[in-house]
Amino acid sequence: MTIEPVMPKCWRADTKPHKFCPGCGHGLVLKALGEAIDELDIQDRVVFGCDIGCSLLAWDFFNLDTVQTHHGRTIPVITGLKRANPGLVGVAYMGDGGGYAIGAQHLVSSAARGEKITAILVNNTQYGMTGGQMAPTTLPGQKTETSPYGRDPETTGTPTQGPEMVATITADGAYVARGTVFNVRQLKTFLKKALENQMAGRGYSFVEALSLCPTNWRTNAEETWNMVNKVMPEYFKVGELKVPAGMGGQ
Amino acid sequence: MEFAGRTTDTEKGSFTIFPQLCKGCGLCIKRCPVDCMSWSDVLGVYGTPSVEISQKCTSCGTCQTVCPDSAITIVRKKKVMH
Repeated sequence: MTIEPVMPKCWRADTKPHKFCPGCGHGLVLKALGEAIDELDIQDRVVFGCDIGCSLLAWDFFNLDTVQTHHGRTIPVITGLKRANPGLVGVAYMGDGGGYAIGAQHLVSSAARGEKITAILVNNTQYGMTGGQMAPTTLPGQKTETSPYGRDPETTGTPTQGPEMVATITADGAYVARGTVFNVRQLKTFLKKALENQMAGRGYSFVEALSLCPTNWRTNAEETWNMVNKVMPEYFKVGELKVPAGMGGQ
Repeated sequence: MEFAGRTTDTEKGSFTIFPQLCKGCGLCIKRCPVDCMSWSDVLGVYGTPSVEISQKCTSCGTCQTVCPDSAITIVRKKKVMH
């Protein structure tokens, strides 16, 4: 018996190894998403939109219809596709730079309108692709390329808490959760519920995933896990923030 | 695409590493609950060490779950019912 790598059915094996750095959390988020899509058996009607930044390296990741846009515009593009063809399952995939900084207006507007899409935002506390600059999600005191003495909340504000904001501005029927790549099974459950909520037409679905960036954090494997398991959850609480009536909690 | 695996058999099952997929991040080594993983002399896709296991492996599958590159496959032996 030949032993094969275990990959979700909707992944493209011919583009692996994928383009993300060693130890990047995107691989884990996309594994959880791939497994959720497989379990729901919706590969033929998912449209996957990735944003600019590291997340665009997912453009050839799946055997799904995929579109790549810039600066948070993945949300309006997927919204347009979903409005034109409500039978689709639209997934807007972005990083914290695209979703909370330059593209924040799209996240806020689409959440307020209650678009029937699933937005997935990967939070690694900095801008990865451009070399690790300070992002809206950088933790107080965290050193980055542009905050070499640590982020000072006095001058740069406090980290953006996206799911808390989305949960506040969305109507009933929205599903909002924050998962972590430290717990891939839980993350998969959240992503699956976010897809199911969209398919049921209840409302907006938003999942933030706490992720890893050993390249720009300059951490070894132990420190990388410590960052996502201990340091980040002190500020970014993991769990479901808003669950529609009729859908069971975790 | 074919990936060539290196399989290690243990009492509870087998561990297969695909060096063509392993980028040498070491995340699996730190999550192993029985601390049975270590760096290998066999290099991965980026010329960095891949990983291997000792016979302490219990085939729990944690390394397979946390590998961002799906470079590890665990096969558990089926329990024989008497």
